[in-house]
Amino acid sequence: MADYQYIGRPVVRVDGEAKISGAAQFVDDLEFGPNLLYAAIVESTRAHARIDAIDTAAAAAIPEVVKIVSGRDFPFKFGLYMHDRFVFAQDRVRFVGEQVAAVIARDPAAALRAAGLVKVHYSELPPVLNTADALAAEAPLIHPDLAEYQHVPWFFPKAGTNIAHFRKIRKGDVEKGFVEADLVFEDTYTVPRYAHCAIEPHGAVGLFDHAGRLTVWTASQSPFTQRHLFSEALAPLGLSHKDVRVITPFVGGGFGGKAGVSMEILAAALATSVKGRPVKILWSRAQEFYNTYQRQGVKATIKLGVKNDGTITALEETLHWDAGAYVEYGANVVNAAGLSATGPYRVANVKIDSVCVYTNLPPGGPYRGFGYSEFIFGLESHINEVAKKLNIDPVAFRRKNAIRPGDALAYGAAMNPSGLVECIDRVAAEIEWDKKSKSKDPGKAIGKGFALFWKAPAMPPNAASTVFLKFNEDGSLNILASAMEIGQGYQTVMAQIAAEILTVPPRKIRVETPDTDRNPYEWQTVASHITWGCGRAVERAALDAREQIFDIIASALGKEREALYLESEQVKSKRDPGWALPLKDFVISGIGQKDGTYRGGPIVGRGMFMPEFASATSDPETGQGGHPNVHYTVGASGITIEIDKQTGKIKVLKAVLAVDVGKALNPDLLKGQVTGGLLQGLATVLYEDMRFDEKGKLLNPNFSDYKIPTAMDIPDEVMPIFIEVAQPDGPFGARGMGEHTMIPAAPIIANAVEDALGIRIKSMPITAEKIIEALSAKKQQE
Amino acid sequence: MNQHIDFILNGEKRSVELRSNLTLLEMLRDKLGVKSPKCGCDRGDCGSCTVMIDGRTVRSCLVLAVEVDGHEVKTLEGLMPGGELTALQKSFLVHNSFQCGFCTPGVILSVSELLEKNPRPDRDEIKEALSGNLCRCTGYIPIIEAVEAHAGQEK
Amino acid sequence: MPIINEFAYIKPATMAQALKWLARYKKPAILAGGTDLLNSLKDGLAKPEALIDIKGLEALHKISFSRNRLHIGALVTFSELIEAEVVRRHFPVIVETARTVGSPGIRNRATMVGNICSAVPCLDSGPLLLAYDAIVATIGKAGKREIPIAKWFLGPRKTALQPSEIVSGLTIPLPEGKHAGCFIKLGRYAGEDLAQASVLVMVLEGNRYRVAFGSVAPVPFRASRIEKLLNGKEPGARLFADAQTLVAASISPITDLRATKEYRLHMCRIMLERSLRAASERLAGGGPRYGERLL
Repeated sequence: MADYQYIGRPVVRVDGEAKISGAAQFVDDLEFGPNLLYAAIVESTRAHARIDAIDTAAAAAIPEVVKIVSGRDFPFKFGLYMHDRFVFAQDRVRFVGEQVAAVIARDPAAALRAAGLVKVHYSELPPVLNTADALAAEAPLIHPDLAEYQHVPWFFPKAGTNIAHFRKIRKGDVEKGFVEADLVFEDTYTVPRYAHCAIEPHGAVGLFDHAGRLTVWTASQSPFTQRHLFSEALAPLGLSHKDVRVITPFVGGGFGGKAGVSMEILAAALATSVKGRPVKILWSRAQEFYNTYQRQGVKATIKLGVKNDGTITALEETLHWDAGAYVEYGANVVNAAGLSATGPYRVANVKIDSVCVYTNLPPGGPYRGFGYSEFIFGLESHINEVAKKLNIDPVAFRRKNAIRPGDALAYGAAMNPSGLVECIDRVAAEIEWDKKSKSKDPGKAIGKGFALFWKAPAMPPNAASTVFLKFNEDGSLNILASAMEIGQGYQTVMAQIAAEILTVPPRKIRVETPDTDRNPYEWQTVASHITWGCGRAVERAALDAREQIFDIIASALGKEREALYLESEQVKSKRDPGWALPLKDFVISGIGQKDGTYRGGPIVGRGMFMPEFASATSDPETGQGGHPNVHYTVGASGITIEIDKQTGKIKVLKAVLAVDVGKALNPDLLKGQVTGGLLQGLATVLYEDMRFDEKGKLLNPNFSDYKIPTAMDIPDEVMPIFIEVAQPDGPFGARGMGEHTMIPAAPIIANAVEDALGIRIKSMPITAEKIIEALSAKKQQE
Repeated sequence: MNQHIDFILNGEKRSVELRSNLTLLEMLRDKLGVKSPKCGCDRGDCGSCTVMIDGRTVRSCLVLAVEVDGHEVKTLEGLMPGGELTALQKSFLVHNSFQCGFCTPGVILSVSELLEKNPRPDRDEIKEALSGNLCRCTGYIPIIEAVEAHAGQEK
Repeated sequence: MPIINEFAYIKPATMAQALKWLARYKKPAILAGGTDLLNSLKDGLAKPEALIDIKGLEALHKISFSRNRLHIGALVTFSELIEAEVVRRHFPVIVETARTVGSPGIRNRATMVGNICSAVPCLDSGPLLLAYDAIVATIGKAGKREIPIAKWFLGPRKTALQPSEIVSGLTIPLPEGKHAGCFIKLGRYAGEDLAQASVLVMVLEGNRYRVAFGSVAPVPFRASRIEKLLNGKEPGARLFADAQTLVAASISPITDLRATKEYRLHMCRIMLERSLRAASERLAGGGPRYGERLL
């Protein structure tokens, strides 16, 4: 095993000082001068209605109001994978909270007051608030023009229905598989919607200057994708990509919610109606809840066929996704889940129907786990039930059926190298799986739960990362990438990669937040793919720079090229042990020759990474073919809980999570993903509880009644374990894991509850109240 | 509705004209350019707006700016003498007690208040001091570890 | 979100001035800690013409204990209650209750008097003050009044306070003989939450009991039927079990966003038993430390 200087070491974060001194700037911290305007949004109060009229007279009379705009001014569609979404609602509204109009004013209070005076007249249409109603024969169509929508070639909307997309997997022969089985068991699991709750709300400032340049500052995970979507949406105004610039400072948490484009389109659009003046839109916490992406709800019906020895023979899953009013991004969640809903198991016969259903609720979209957090609750709960029915230990059952490298995936491609079995064994040992624990308190029960997880980046086949790398006179260097620092610390990892290759220490490497004018293309900071994809691009840029360095030294100083190497920020030669030339001496100025001329010049490295083996092309009826997922990161997790049998309250004693990261580039940052992601996942199963009324209005768009964990709610002990089975095409063997730590949280709790109390709760969240209800129902049955 | 206030901000005497319905958070960020207190929820639920008034942490989104007339206000900027990182901040750096950094100023203020009263807190006391600061990124454990390490080192 | 409505801001230097200003406006609001009022202003639920900031009235900022009576001035914050030596020594259940309110940054501003003036059904101080038979002291243009806490809460967000009156403080009489208490608040998790149900039990020397519930009726109240059953009897598991049977008839919880009425009822039975047990053990010199979570 190579001994690295920076890779695998606890390097202090390159953005650390900025963040702990309060100097780090987020979009709301940027100053735009006294000319800054403020926008307040007029929002739909109906879940489904036609807009008959918008009366702005009273609002326009407010002295500070500069402009009022609505759908009529921006009849433009946009979307990432499908163009089904509007800057402002057009003829109808499709969810409570949808933007209908905007007031732009010279001060925020005036904008808000004026927005409250805009009167919108609606004719109600019947709201469709769940998938069953949306799929019913005579259901009102939420998108009557669905057939005309542009979309990526791997989506299959069903015209004349509320089905925006479906992903089918047909592998092998499930009917045969069920016949072969000794036991076939089917059940249904329900997972509701969830909110990201990044502490920084969404915000954006747009400026369309008199030179015709549109600059948008956003809190975003995806500056280049935003630039692309703004350019597409506003093309009718004569704008193209060269005119649009997106600048993204530090982001205060994304978790997928700040990917793609949601409210930021408003800043881009509104800027064009007040040329020459910047206009700012900052979302309130309530808007953050009801008018940004939500994690989609899903109803999963799972049927598993197994032999008495525990071998899985067939798996059939029907996933109905409550995808909301617009699915331009969320439909890909449905797609990704459909491809991988088998979980990390080898199953010869698979039938999956993953259906993306429009509803009159807020748009669903990307959330840490991208569909996997959503479906794995059902799958891992179900696996436990089946193991129990067979009288086989749930961990042994999983180990037996665990997918191995080279196995065929649900869509035909082969599974990548992975240490899943090692993860299982390590977690089982740490959680002392074989030891049955009893609480000292007779009123409490202890239970243990286990689950496997996996996830592949869900990206288009041409998702690319590009990087420039440039040196400075003092031998320091700048890495220019357009990945986003959303908390995960990617900038530091990129610095470590470059540091290892160029021998410049990370503290002399700057990785700053991007500007699409200055930094080269990055698809998005999502999918846990930046370490892998942008890391490879940085690696290539660093190698490119190193090649240039060796070329120059060889030609300018006549050194033997093959003998050259870098060490401690100097170029050295194996041929000439006494000789060393510091990088800073020539990386800008070049190398002076005896005749007064110079060779070389400023070193600029360039790196691009785009997987050329990925393909989304497959048979729409079977899902077979193509290589839609670049690779999977796998893992296992176990938890020990103590439940108070009287109150139903759960205390997490110990949580263990093992993930195969390929190579732990920065162990501290990985640990942070485990402590953070696991708690975020536990919150979805224990506390977070989104409630809508019968008219589709979100009742708890605030932290008072949508509870995210505080420091008082942490597990007693969290133990991360990092397995390293190298990813062959990863930088130093690494693959991503940012989303993965959240994925197993819900099923490990559900399984631990079952272990402790003998009750199986099949819907989330598993609140104390639900446990008490289930316990008393059980008691009545006995 | 205009008011005039005189107060001390991070050690400097300030005089400000403002409307009575401006919150302390709005005054600090929008009028005085002090950006470390953040607006995460504007309802006092998340703690990212935390500042100190006369040495006590408060939610600046729940205080009107006029209320600080005659008082002393400290933000994170004011907790760093000469702009240098404190030992507590260095402990945060080493322990990775932050990720996106948005909640960090509020967290540091809450911890500073605790350590001022109780230089060697136990884990429960640290959690209680942090209980009003929501962090979505770290899961709190690295923050608690940094405080424990720092308190363990302080004599 | 900015506060849209504008208002005059007045900070009187004396109580006389405060009352004068209070009388001058039709829609005044009193500002002390502000943790409740600021959100009402932002939501547009409160649209006062003037805010009268009473934080200049230093006399209201005192905690004192004399002749077995604890006086808590209107400006005393929850943090100050927690830190006050006399409170920690003589009234530890006040500290236990205060520590469940919000979080430190909220407790540094929020006042117990402000809490009872808001009179939201889930208020944290209600059961405590009812159990102690506290007295609310007010000052108005008609002079001073003393209102027993049992007559203070008239309905959700409604109190016995008159329009031209200010609450100057609370008086909590130390009960005769030894006493111990226990406050249990039901939240959705260990973090800061509004009570879905709460109970405060006081056990006094001589087998006397006081039981108050909060958040399970439009106002907090003393459970007189339960007290009647308990009074005069030795604490013990059988007695507590009997008391539990009276809970359903004593409380009227609702189903709302936070909890169902069935769960609230279920939990109130458990909370009553646990608080009775803890308070009686504490009276005997043992039991869980004050502040320990019993749910």
